[in-house]
Amino acid sequence: MLPPGGDGRLVAGRPQPARPWKEAPDLSHAVDAVPVLEIQGLTKLFRRRRKPPVTAVDNLNLRLEAGEVVGLLGPNGAGKTTIIKCVLGLVRPTSGVIRVAGHDVRTEHSRAIEHASAVLEGARNTYWRMTPRENVRFFAGLHGLDWRTHREHFENLLERFGLSERADELLLNLSTGMKQKVAVVCALAKQTQLVFLDEPTLGLDIETSLELRSILREMARETRRTIVVSSHDMDVIQDVCRRVIILKQGRVVADDTVESLLDLFRTRSYRIVLSDGLGGEVLQELEKVTAGLSVARKSRQTELEFSLPSAEGLYKVIDLVREGGAVIETITQREPDLEEAFLRVIRDGGLK
Amino acid sequence: MKRWMVFVAVFKKTLIEMRRYLFNMVSGLVTMYLIFLLLFFGAKAVGGSAFQTGGHLEGLIVGYTIWILSLLAYQDLAWQIASDAEIGTLEQLYLSPAGFGWVNASHMAARFVVNMVIISLILFVMMLTTGRWLHLDLISLVPLLVLTVIPCYGLGFLMGGLALVFKRIQSSFQILQFVFVALIAAPMSQFPWIKYLPLAMGNSLLREVMVEGARLWQMSASDLGLATAVGVGYLALGYGGFAYLLNVARDRGLMGHY
Repeated sequence: MLPPGGDGRLVAGRPQPARPWKEAPDLSHAVDAVPVLEIQGLTKLFRRRRKPPVTAVDNLNLRLEAGEVVGLLGPNGAGKTTIIKCVLGLVRPTSGVIRVAGHDVRTEHSRAIEHASAVLEGARNTYWRMTPRENVRFFAGLHGLDWRTHREHFENLLERFGLSERADELLLNLSTGMKQKVAVVCALAKQTQLVFLDEPTLGLDIETSLELRSILREMARETRRTIVVSSHDMDVIQDVCRRVIILKQGRVVADDTVESLLDLFRTRSYRIVLSDGLGGEVLQELEKVTAGLSVARKSRQTELEFSLPSAEGLYKVIDLVREGGAVIETITQREPDLEEAFLRVIRDGGLK
Repeated sequence: MKRWMVFVAVFKKTLIEMRRYLFNMVSGLVTMYLIFLLLFFGAKAVGGSAFQTGGHLEGLIVGYTIWILSLLAYQDLAWQIASDAEIGTLEQLYLSPAGFGWVNASHMAARFVVNMVIISLILFVMMLTTGRWLHLDLISLVPLLVLTVIPCYGLGFLMGGLALVFKRIQSSFQILQFVFVALIAAPMSQFPWIKYLPLAMGNSLLREVMVEGARLWQMSASDLGLATAVGVGYLALGYGGFAYLLNVARDRGLMGHY
């Protein structure tokens, strides 16, 4: 296990003192009145020969303000990466309008992309035959930032991500986690208002994932950047993001704060322990009034886990159990995690 | 947006890559020289002393120089795009506010400077080997070299666009190599229409400078005009094709896929 730093951050090697995130003076491009990202009616169809087109994104509307840290969740093929690529101009939308800091991505791509950077999933994002420092210089240079003027900011980033000591080694010789951190640093070096991190912890071991999450959380807290994290790893979203958007088949099925989403399920998820078993008929009745009923038999006890469409449904469940002749030992509210909330939302097709 | 900074970043990266892939560059240089030796001694064996007179030898040196320069020119961008798509950095290049076209143009300009150094080295060694020293009037030579290879950069953009959509296009490089040989070697007096194709007019003008010692301002304005029109025309066509194929790649979601 890695030791925590002075600020609670897990760091490889010795603990590092907390330093404030140094942002360049011109970071606040976005005027608060203008949303950092605004998507209206975005649709993307991928046409195929002799087959019906695939709808990757379906009439999506979204608005992100400055300083928001948003998680994009969805099963494979939900459209997360396509949305990110449409915003960046890497994929041409079939219809809809996307504005980054007020600039239309279709007609003012250069102006829009000045405010956005990304670490994309499934790509290296960096040159492995170059050093971390050379990569940062190159990618910041592509954004029009020169090393001499912004050196302090770049060095600060390398230090915060624990890369300073190996900043002049070829990426080829660094671990997967370090390479991923270099990719994140390269995106952050551009000092953009909007940052997309598509699967930032994919393929990382638990320690490195925790370390990266900790840095991202800290950065999100201390800067006014709008960060969009797309990940299959619910812990990353729950840990780093304040708002979560759940997608299914290219549509938004839930858009709320992580806390609200968890609260919603916290009030509806229960575990009841019975001192004996239940008959098949009662279980069939219970299945009708609950959702996700699971029954576990442990020696003489029976454990029921289920969710209810409303809190009032609990009385109905209790009545059914009594009628079945079982004795209730305990009733507890389960603490749902984001993964459970996500699965429920996806299964139900939205928040009900 | 400071476009100059983008060019500087791309130029520095080109130099870093040259240093990291030094062995590859040196072996490339040696291969180019070995091919020239093969051509030189082969022609000498077949043509005897007649090959060394009447400007044939000078023609071989100039033609080979232009051929190498044109190959480097059109392959650079296509190879770079295919390579970036393969290693997963292509999408990041697209995210430059200067525009993907500018990033690629910067790459081409940076490679042109590097290629000029490479070509100068090869030219020097070729002249040393043959003992035939050509007129190297840089004021006339550099603009004509630029005009001559500009159509190849147009082709490079087109090939780069094809690489975005089809990814593996290396086999088409080999076909174009032979097309370029034909364009350089075919006599314009017999096939006058060839001057509207890349390389032919530039090659003819460069021969005048390097073999006959002509100066840029002594050349026919119509010939220079035609070379410029051919250069700019093919560059524009190539860039137009690249822009179209870029949109095809974006439409199909192929950017960065390999």
